[in-house]
Amino acid sequence: MDIPYTVSARPDTGLYNAKVGIWLFLASEVMLFGGLFSAYIFLRVGADYPWPIHELEVLPGFVNTMVLIGSSVTVVMAWASLKMRKIGLFKFYMAITVACAGIFMCLKAYEYNKKFHHYAVTLTDGTVLTGHLPEGYKVKFGEATELSVTIQSETAAIDGDPAGYVFPYLDGVEPASFKLADGTEVRLDKSGFAEVRKRVVAEAREKVRIRKARFMEQKAELERELAALEGSSDGEKIAKTKGRILGVQRAHDLLNVVPPTTLKLTSSTPLKFAVKPSKIFGYTANSLTFRDGTIVTGKLIDDAMKLEVDGVDTRAVVDKEKSLAWDKKYLGQDWKQVWMARRDHAQGKFKEDYGDKRDPLKSATLQKESYYLHIESTNPTDHAPESAGHSAALTSPVLASGAHSDGHAAHPALVLEKKDITFFSNFTPKLNTFYAIYFTLTGLHGLHVIAGAAVLAWFWLFNGKLLRSNPEHLANRVEVGGLFWHFVDLVWIFLFPLLYLL
Amino acid sequence: MADSVEEIQKSVKTYMKVFGALIILTFITVGLSKVEMPTHGQNILIGMIVASFKAALVGLIFMHLNHERSTIYKVLAFTSVFCVVLFVLFYMAHGDPLVDPLFDSTSAAAKGH
Repeated sequence: MDIPYTVSARPDTGLYNAKVGIWLFLASEVMLFGGLFSAYIFLRVGADYPWPIHELEVLPGFVNTMVLIGSSVTVVMAWASLKMRKIGLFKFYMAITVACAGIFMCLKAYEYNKKFHHYAVTLTDGTVLTGHLPEGYKVKFGEATELSVTIQSETAAIDGDPAGYVFPYLDGVEPASFKLADGTEVRLDKSGFAEVRKRVVAEAREKVRIRKARFMEQKAELERELAALEGSSDGEKIAKTKGRILGVQRAHDLLNVVPPTTLKLTSSTPLKFAVKPSKIFGYTANSLTFRDGTIVTGKLIDDAMKLEVDGVDTRAVVDKEKSLAWDKKYLGQDWKQVWMARRDHAQGKFKEDYGDKRDPLKSATLQKESYYLHIESTNPTDHAPESAGHSAALTSPVLASGAHSDGHAAHPALVLEKKDITFFSNFTPKLNTFYAIYFTLTGLHGLHVIAGAAVLAWFWLFNGKLLRSNPEHLANRVEVGGLFWHFVDLVWIFLFPLLYLL
Repeated sequence: MADSVEEIQKSVKTYMKVFGALIILTFITVGLSKVEMPTHGQNILIGMIVASFKAALVGLIFMHLNHERSTIYKVLAFTSVFCVVLFVLFYMAHGDPLVDPLFDSTSAAAKGH
């Protein structure tokens, strides 16, 4: 069947069909992005933390804007070339358009990758430290000899599964076997544990069955008593016996759920664990609870976080000069001096520029310049403005970490105590609502770029037959693909300033 | 609709001009974001005005909306209306939070209800 009006216009609309189709589709796309832009406004207006401004690296965003604008021009030029039957030019422009999409996505990948490896740590007083975790962050737990595994007899959300939830985090060799309280040896690998589970659940069910049977025996006994009382005049005793029968029956009926069994297992060799906090429910100084409910008894070895700090944000701290970041166990007084000098400099300049005309508290830029310290080296003296009269002697205990092989500058390495940390995350949607909407918007936009580029690449590479037989039809296809591509560019025109600049 | 070769050749020149304008406007967007307006809201407003201008150029010239058939304008008219309604709904929800029992109870108490 031939699709009508692919080349010529339909009389009633005055357009070829695909064009009406793409505009209807773009209308729905406007609504989709409209909803997300509304969400952005909503989140920004209602944010209960300083909304990150000037946070994203502008250059990749700027280059990407240029790349998309360029590709918008090339796609329309490709269409115009085809209309003029300049086939070589058409192919050239299509190639550039697809290449631009490739560059865009590469830069996007670079930006995303950087964020995945960059962390923000919120301290108890609201200070946010940003930086890298060269060793990741793991809770280290050792001298563990006792495992308490709870096996559910019924389907449950949390059920003992040491092979899946405990042993992957062993720091060292897996133990050969464990001893049960009664002295029997068991293996806890997948098949070994399946056997243990089978036996334990069967035992638990048997116990319930025996208890239920006992209730039934009691009931039969009581019914015999009742039969003996039949015809006697002791109404009170009859009523009491009847009541007891009902009670026993009820106790029997209620005994439906087979309770879980907790096994105490002992390892002959002490175990060591190194586990990400997201993989456990929690821990104390001498116990660690895994997500399958298994509790390991032992000793907490280390839960400090080694962070190479590249930024200190005190905007959310009430008394910024007393921020935990300036504590002597962390960045110390030298860095505080650097920060204060910068703050005073920024505030002085603001006053110089605007006098009393502007409220410094209302300038988001000034707030950031004053209270956010970007750290580029391990040595505070590299940062101090000369006017600060800062002593070169270092008193802070900051350890200098070496320059990195991947080229990013060396930063002070801090060892953060767990008790000082309230939250940490890499720069992903869970960090805050800004990153949530950033990834939603740019991710969805990126998917549009991929889809649009795929369609255009198809027209460029695989529509040779149509190009020879009916170039006007292909020109219409390219126009429709181009319309979608312009829309993708249009969305980015708003995304770039909103996310990167403002 | 530009269909004849001459018309297309003419519009190619326009495309190049618009390309130049878009590049310049991108520089302006970045430049303006570095200028501190009395409030950050004004920075955002100006940024959005420039962005809308760029979007209009793309829409009118590249997407040929400066000379399109009425069917498409009708579709876009509906889209605009629905889009405005969408933003208004968000705005109304922001002005009158639906779920804030604590706020409601204290304000009701303050009014003596």
